[in-house]
Amino acid sequence: MAERVQKIVRDRLSILCMEFVETARESVEARRRLLDQFSQAYKALSIAAGYHGYIALEKELVATEGVSKIAAGSRNIAGVRTPSFELTGPERAIRGYSLVDTSSCVDRAAQLAEKCLESTAELAESQRSLELLGMEIARTKRISNALEYVMIPALQATMKYLYMKFEERDREEKSRLKRIKVLLQ
Amino acid sequence: MLPYDRMLQEYLRDELRVINAHLPRNQKSLADLLREEYPHVVYNNGSTHLFKRKELEYLASLIDADKQEALLLPVLIELGQNQGEAGVICVGGIVEEVISKVLDMPIKGKQKRITIYRPQLALLRRKLKTTTQYVFYPRVLE
Repeated sequence: MAERVQKIVRDRLSILCMEFVETARESVEARRRLLDQFSQAYKALSIAAGYHGYIALEKELVATEGVSKIAAGSRNIAGVRTPSFELTGPERAIRGYSLVDTSSCVDRAAQLAEKCLESTAELAESQRSLELLGMEIARTKRISNALEYVMIPALQATMKYLYMKFEERDREEKSRLKRIKVLLQ
Repeated sequence: MLPYDRMLQEYLRDELRVINAHLPRNQKSLADLLREEYPHVVYNNGSTHLFKRKELEYLASLIDADKQEALLLPVLIELGQNQGEAGVICVGGIVEEVISKVLDMPIKGKQKRITIYRPQLALLRRKLKTTTQYVFYPRVLE
């Protein structure tokens, strides 16, 4: 029974480790993508600022504050509840600033900034999942080790002791029977 | 039954309950999920599981529109028979078709199961993170 429990715990541990590695890979990728996108967005914004001037750009961007919707839920990976974020809502063609007074540089900067938001949500999801999976792996590993090094050896020792006791009783019984046989003869 | 055995059995039951708590109460078809604003299913423990729209759209691109009604999500992946193997539960041939397209290899199911190996499982989970779900093999209790 203990071995069966250990098997399932080990199975779960291997799945958690596989998911952890995948999430770590994803997290690194998301972080790299986010940095790239932020650098591109800042570059585009500085080009737009250079083209229009800071004051004119700020004047246009004051009116563009929009609310981004994010669908937050959860998903379960082998018993670990991890968060799930997804930016929802269609891509906006009109962002609020005047199309007459601005150029395509502002459009490009806005587009890249929206992509940054999406990547931030992705990174937050994978980062938190990574932490939760790590904690669960540590917990499962403790259980697996307790079974492997404490419970199973203890049970095996008890079994061995009982087996020896039964054998001893068996031998005693045999010698008693022999003795009775001799006495009867 | 020894007290140790009873304790271990209780522990195993609890562990299985925890790791299988995320099984959906009922699966939903891909077509239904695509129609929902927030595509989700409810788990046995009452929590909700949110599907990524991108993944649903990816799945929809793999199969015809009429087959989308028959593809039930999340796809269940059974673990526990063998350390190196996993079984994908497939009722009907649509899951077979989808898995074969996702893994880019021919796949044939046997007794409503597709057997895949760990590297393929990792690939499958990488592509279908929210539309697949693990099930731990409960027959270990027998």
